Amino acid sequence: MLEIKNLTKVYNDGTVALKDVSFEVREGEFLVIIGLSGSGKSTLLRCINRLIDPTEGRILWDGEDITAAEGDQLRQVRRQIGMIFQHFNLVKRSSVLMNVLSGRLGYTRPAASLLQRFPARDREMAWKALERVGITDQARKQARELSGGQQQRVGIARALMQQPRMILADEPVASLDPVLAHSILGYLEQLNKEERITVLCSLHYLDLVQRYSSRVIGLRAGRIVYRGSREEIRRMSDEEFKDIYGEEAVRVSAGLTGAGQEEK
Amino acid sequence: MAGKGKEHNSRTESRTSWIPAPVAAIASLIIPGLGQVLGLSIQRGLLLFASSAAIITMLGWRIKVLAHLEATAMAMLGKAFDRRPFFVGLILACLIVLWLWNAWDAYRQAAERRRGGFGIFALVLFSFFALGWQISEIDIYRMIREFPDATKPFAKVIWPWRAAVKREAILIVAEATIQVPCSDSPPPYPEEVAGQPFLKADPNCGELSRQDENNQIVAGTVTRLSGRNFRPDTRTEIWWSDPLGNEFQVRQGGEYVSLMTDERGAFEMDLIMPYRLIPPSSAAVQIHKVQARQVASMGALKASEPLLLTIERMVETIFMGMMATLFGILFSIPVSFLAARNIMAGSWVTMTIYYLTRTVLNIIRAIEPLIWAIIAVVWVGLGPFAGIIALTIHSIAALGKLYSEAIEAIDPGPIEAVQATGASRLQTIMFAVVPQMIAPFVSFSIYRWDINVRMSTIIGLVGGGGVGFILIQYIRLLDYRAAGIAVWFIAVTVAVLDYVSSEIRQRFI
Repeated sequence: MLEIKNLTKVYNDGTVALKDVSFEVREGEFLVIIGLSGSGKSTLLRCINRLIDPTEGRILWDGEDITAAEGDQLRQVRRQIGMIFQHFNLVKRSSVLMNVLSGRLGYTRPAASLLQRFPARDREMAWKALERVGITDQARKQARELSGGQQQRVGIARALMQQPRMILADEPVASLDPVLAHSILGYLEQLNKEERITVLCSLHYLDLVQRYSSRVIGLRAGRIVYRGSREEIRRMSDEEFKDIYGEEAVRVSAGLTGAGQEEK
Repeated sequence: MAGKGKEHNSRTESRTSWIPAPVAAIASLIIPGLGQVLGLSIQRGLLLFASSAAIITMLGWRIKVLAHLEATAMAMLGKAFDRRPFFVGLILACLIVLWLWNAWDAYRQAAERRRGGFGIFALVLFSFFALGWQISEIDIYRMIREFPDATKPFAKVIWPWRAAVKREAILIVAEATIQVPCSDSPPPYPEEVAGQPFLKADPNCGELSRQDENNQIVAGTVTRLSGRNFRPDTRTEIWWSDPLGNEFQVRQGGEYVSLMTDERGAFEMDLIMPYRLIPPSSAAVQIHKVQARQVASMGALKASEPLLLTIERMVETIFMGMMATLFGILFSIPVSFLAARNIMAGSWVTMTIYYLTRTVLNIIRAIEPLIWAIIAVVWVGLGPFAGIIALTIHSIAALGKLYSEAIEAIDPGPIEAVQATGASRLQTIMFAVVPQMIAPFVSFSIYRWDINVRMSTIIGLVGGGGVGFILIQYIRLLDYRAAGIAVWFIAVTVAVLDYVSSEIRQRFI
């Protein structure tokens, strides 16, 4: 469903963030991108929904070239791709409900949303999304009053409002502790398995990669240095892992085995 | 400390002194700091030279001010010393100590290459403050001596409320007719009406006082005035009205004639008929009148004019602040975008606009609203509008800076997130930018309103309207009670506003 061809991104200051990156994402995958910070993971994810314009290469969404998409076409593509972020990127002074509703903006007429009003159908949908991530009781609070784990769940609910076919997750658990990390990734896994939403996720920790990924791409200095299947990544030793990551690699040593064990 | 000093030594060892230590000391004796410079403690030497030069220059200036009439320098010094022995002596002593210390310092710097030793700079600083004391004409003795004189106006300003109310004053008059001179048919005595003030003059005819050939006053007939039904225990004035209708207060022995009524509102007194020039054409027999007048304050308490005026001006002041804030907000919002780095970072053109806007805002902000008010008064004349213009100009600059900083502090994360949902540019602004801006915008705007009302209380001092306008007038008229009322209103308004604005801002943050 998504094809990246020879993607290169050079920033204005001359930094080469991506160099000739090509890969394909198939429907229903849980594709994990690993790599050190600064290896180009965030840039790659942001090129896919065109928050960043690539310098060279092509991005094909369902076979359609969206590398230079603008206006309505870009809007149509973006609303099919949900995104969650390391720092949650909620509007901290808006209510949780409003943050979730903003996920619906790609479907609302711009003029109608000027008054921050949404159709009843969308509101109902927002409550369902909140219910799904288990924070209905926080809906009226300002986003900044929530804990980190709760904020990320609002982020997921916001992505769900787009009824996405794919979710881009940029280091979704890097600012959370290991317990919450499993909780959040558990939600993503659930969406991946039950709703067949494709997940493209960048991660830091080998344990999490081994636990959740169905396929892995390793980036270093903007190039793909590793491609592996679920089985291959499970067999991966710490030494190979460090090869991609460098010496800074760490394992999450929390003795947690799976998702669903949340902070309830 | 010693260890640290040594470390420093070893680093500066290579830069040994150019000259032997005694030479450095002598050099510094000739020109302060020279020895240190030659000894390669260049900054220290320059600093000492500049300080000594400044102290000498300023002492010279003050001596000239104190004794400007003397011809020679020595005479000036002598006179200045006579007038301010402590000041001149102290600074001279400081200079001498500084000079010697500086020479010794040069010696030590050259000989030991020892750093530190800030005592000499403490002395320099002390000399500067001593000069400052004299230059700024601080006079504690005068402050204490003249305090008793100031207590009266102070008391009026601190508790001005006697001037805040007044009663209607009414005039109580009764008059008696007097015939000059007496004739065969003297006028009848007036009849007393119960409850009405009544005045009787007995006799009711006679001669006025007059001047003889030697310009001596010859006293006129003495008549007995008896009054009844006046207000009791109240000062009563005796007035005279001649046939031409001229009224004047009667004087006897150089004093105006006045008396106090007794507890029943009655009085009796003897009055010499006064001297009065009568036109020669007037009739032989004239009718004069004598009046007893009381001024009594009666009726309900009323707000006095200063109180009413102060309230009017205070309302004007608050609205001046509000209008200036409104205009300031309206103009500063577009300006603030031009002054926000993250918005203008696109190209060199926008960055030029950014730097230009910032510079202009900084210049405008550096000029006090009072000065803007003086300029605005020239422009649109005296009154609140001039004050509004001044405050608006200053508000645009101040708010423009605050707003632009709020814009620069926007978190780009939510913008990115909302864009990623497929939102249009307008939607992104409404959902990701505006919610982040509201709190700081409201907070800064209310803060500015607070400042503007505060400023508009004094902007009237230069003709910008508002309560300051009448405050300065009352002070110049020495009407300290009225001024006190204005001061009270300013203080209370500012305090209330301060509280309200901080409460509102707290709600929003």
